[in-house]
Amino acid sequence: MTTQSKTPSYTINCRMSYEAAALERLCQVVRVRGFRIAKMAVETADGALDIALTVQGARPVAMLQSQLEKLHTVAEVQLATPVTASRIA
Amino acid sequence: MNGAQHILKAFHRRDIDTVFGYPGGCIMPLYDALVDDARVEHVLCRHEQACALAADGYARASGKLGVCIATSGPGATNLITGVANAYQDSIPMLVITGQVATGLIGTDAFQETDVLGMTLGIVKHSYLVENTDELPAILEEAMELAQSGRPGPVWIDIPKNILLEEPAAGPDSTLSEPSSAGSPNLDDAAEMLRAARKPLLYSGGGISLAHAEDSFREFAECSGLPAVVTLKGIGNAGKHNPYNLGMLGMHGSRAANRAVDECDLLLVIGARLDDRATGKLEGFAPNARTIHIDTDTAEFNKLRQADLAIRGDLNAILGKLTRTLREAPLTISDWQQQCRTWGTTGGFQAADNEEPLAPITGPSFIRQLSRIAPDDTVIACDVGQHQMWVAQHYQFDRPRHHLTSGGLGTMGFGLPAAIGAQFANRESTVINVTGDGSFMMNAQELATIRRYNLPLKLIIMDNQCLGMVRQQQELFYNNRESHIDLNDNPDFVAMARAFDIPALRIERTDQVRRGIETILAYNGPMLLHVAIAREENVWPVVKPGGSNREMIDETRRFAADKKEKTA
Ligand SMILES: Cc1ncc(C[n+]2csc(CCOP(=O)(O)OP(=O)(O)O)c2C)c(N)n1
Ligand SMILES: [Mg+2]
Repeated sequence: MTTQSKTPSYTINCRMSYEAAALERLCQVVRVRGFRIAKMAVETADGALDIALTVQGARPVAMLQSQLEKLHTVAEVQLATPVTASRIA
Repeated sequence: MNGAQHILKAFHRRDIDTVFGYPGGCIMPLYDALVDDARVEHVLCRHEQACALAADGYARASGKLGVCIATSGPGATNLITGVANAYQDSIPMLVITGQVATGLIGTDAFQETDVLGMTLGIVKHSYLVENTDELPAILEEAMELAQSGRPGPVWIDIPKNILLEEPAAGPDSTLSEPSSAGSPNLDDAAEMLRAARKPLLYSGGGISLAHAEDSFREFAECSGLPAVVTLKGIGNAGKHNPYNLGMLGMHGSRAANRAVDECDLLLVIGARLDDRATGKLEGFAPNARTIHIDTDTAEFNKLRQADLAIRGDLNAILGKLTRTLREAPLTISDWQQQCRTWGTTGGFQAADNEEPLAPITGPSFIRQLSRIAPDDTVIACDVGQHQMWVAQHYQFDRPRHHLTSGGLGTMGFGLPAAIGAQFANRESTVINVTGDGSFMMNAQELATIRRYNLPLKLIIMDNQCLGMVRQQQELFYNNRESHIDLNDNPDFVAMARAFDIPALRIERTDQVRRGIETILAYNGPMLLHVAIAREENVWPVVKPGGSNREMIDETRRFAADKKEKTA
């Protein structure tokens, strides 16, 4: 889609417990709250998952952050400084 | 003690004495354990959707955890609508399903469905128990989680082998103490309230979810703030409060929508600013600053930017605000007077039918019911025009007396929810007010009423159509009726009698009082079939997506007035 390059993009770091549905939960919230995953890196450390996500979406990212924080298995969500949209496009 | 027995033990520990369920293959070990259990009453509904909705009604009416149980595959999928209903309205619920044995998961086994995957979007949290030893801790955590913070349904999917195996005694719960929000500083809120000339209280379902009904009532009375409520907040402000303008929104009172339109400060408590309440957001409370108080931070600034957002325990916050305002009361008498005047001219006034042989109208029937039914009556509604007439015309004094499917708008909610409410309040009068369409969505539950001999009262407002859809087609689709006709409804009286439930039909105004009194006086379940006109509409109404300012009422007077003013 050509609109992709205009859509703001953000990097989010998320720590969540390592359980079977962890990534599904995360991705479901991202999608339903109006964002798309453009890049994702996952590592396991000390029984937890560290996830670095780049998401794109037109809605305020703080809304996504607070919805992710509500997931019971999410320990922490940090919003890195917004990256420019063109880098991903 | 096997996994199934552990589940019952967890129920005992939490004083869970009523659960709603339906057996089947993978959940059979739990049903086997129930045979020897004297403390948990298992209520067998006739469809899993009804189990979930009954658990939901039980939770709403009692403030306790609702529990439902089903087998894997079709049992679990049948639960889904009921669980989504609880999720949308933040109802505390524990859902337990059997799953195929651990080794069979992923083999497309008989009655295997990916319950965890299928339900991610409708649960507060969910678990697939992967090994037996985790079960006790998961149970504890799930029950805690469903009821803490912003409540919601928590689903545990348990493979059959785990129900049969014996978990090692381990720690009971891994859930850490919920972090307390501390004591929020309310000085800014008090200052904003004092600075406002036209402050308005806007409350929703969050008040009863936080068990804050009494502190809210005290605050509303002590502050003297004019108040509007959402569909789920009905009952919050009390029926004797002179400044209670009732429900706002799409089918709200003109008084409530007018006050929102004119206020200069909106104090939102336990509400999420749903679109049915706010109408088009751009036109909503255009002159007001907003204070938003809630337990869930994610609600702040979601739909409307708050000038001040306060997260915390509603009881504590309301108590503190009450004390502050008691020391220095607000001086808003002009505004109070204005709202009171709007309330008397723009409330839900429906003329009572005078003509004895005239057909029954929805609003006048509900007003009669409200006058006759005892104070402790719980009304469980279905979805449609009748639901809105209840919201508009029944005088509720407590939010837990009005059970309605707000967020999901689930037709078929009312009857099972009433069953749940009757188990929660065995001595109270519980009435299901339903429509001819909604009733048929869970009509099989007449068998549950009979089996447990519940003294429930059922009222079918029969307009021989899907009235709410017909109304919208009439008003917003050029009156092009499409698939809303139900003139071939079954004979509801005969149907009730087939379940051994006595029933009565009324169709004229002079039969209303007798009809209501008869079912209420009857010592057992009884159904009242009320014939009403097909053409009746719910007034006023805001066009979906429109601004609450543009209410249409029966004579279109309000719209005409506006035209006149702007001309
Ligand atoms: C399960 C479900 N399906 C469809 C709808 C859409 N819907 C909303 S109101 C309504 C009509 C309800 O008819 P009835 O129960 O007879 O009530 P009435 O409006 O006639 O009072 C429909 C179909 C819904 N809310 N829920
Ligand atoms: Mg109908």
